[in-house]
Amino acid sequence: MSDFDSELDASGLNCPLPILRAKKAIAGLEGGQTLKIIATDPGSVKDFEAFCKQTGNELLSSGEEGGKFVFMIKKS
Amino acid sequence: MSTRLSGPERRQSILKEAQQLFAEKGFHGVSIDEIARAVSVSPAILYRHFDSKQSLYDAVLQELSSQRESYVDAVVNSDANFEEVLIGMTEVFIRSIDENPNLLRIEMQSLLDGNPATSEFFENRWKSFTDYINFSMNERLAYDVYNREITILSASLMFQGMVREALLQKYLQPQDRLVDISLTELSRELVTLFLRAIGIHESTLAQKDINPIQLNQHSS
Repeated sequence: MSDFDSELDASGLNCPLPILRAKKAIAGLEGGQTLKIIATDPGSVKDFEAFCKQTGNELLSSGEEGGKFVFMIKKS
Repeated sequence: MSTRLSGPERRQSILKEAQQLFAEKGFHGVSIDEIARAVSVSPAILYRHFDSKQSLYDAVLQELSSQRESYVDAVVNSDANFEEVLIGMTEVFIRSIDENPNLLRIEMQSLLDGNPATSEFFENRWKSFTDYINFSMNERLAYDVYNREITILSASLMFQGMVREALLQKYLQPQDRLVDISLTELSRELVTLFLRAIGIHESTLAQKDINPIQLNQHSS
């Protein structure tokens, strides 16, 4: 059982692509569903915080795993 | 007589002067002594904060990268189509140079300095655009387009060259022909021309008053 409904690998991509692809992925989710995002751009940490603040989606977690950044976003 | 500053304040004032000097003269054109004089401290005090010119230079870059421009607004406040996001990103990028033209000067200096840290820093700034253009064109360009890969690569090069040249002309040339053009106008015009060149005519932006020059060779 996974704790997310959809996954997006944005490794190797610079902002704004991870944000843009996340926006599109979230648009395809139901309210309450969770998207996991993997990114390598260090700027993505601040970007996803700002993104969630502005869109009202909830940033459940933001962390680092094996040199990559992992975000969990719950659609509002 | 120099005023007493706390450690962090002193460090900050060294960074500020160093940024200015590196921007004007490049990494190799500035000595530690010169930076120390500009801050009115002895080189010994400067070395207490930074153990070499390279580490001071790296700290200057580090500080510039912490003021990294964010493209989140460009994505969130639009319906995320290619044209609008590209315009928004270009505006943010041009504004970052407008606020601190030293960024552009240090970039130019670094092209000749051959300092790996700097090249990486500036490549990364442009990578946002090249990634975005590559990815988006890859999505929308038909698979049988002649020389597809080279077309996509050339488009991102063209964009970078175009924006960089506009910035050079606007911020580094003494006779400034672009002085009356606002940042918004400049980004819009550049992006509109770019879009037309890569064959996007139906953009929401191009609807205003662009001459309907058709570059599309395929349709008769």
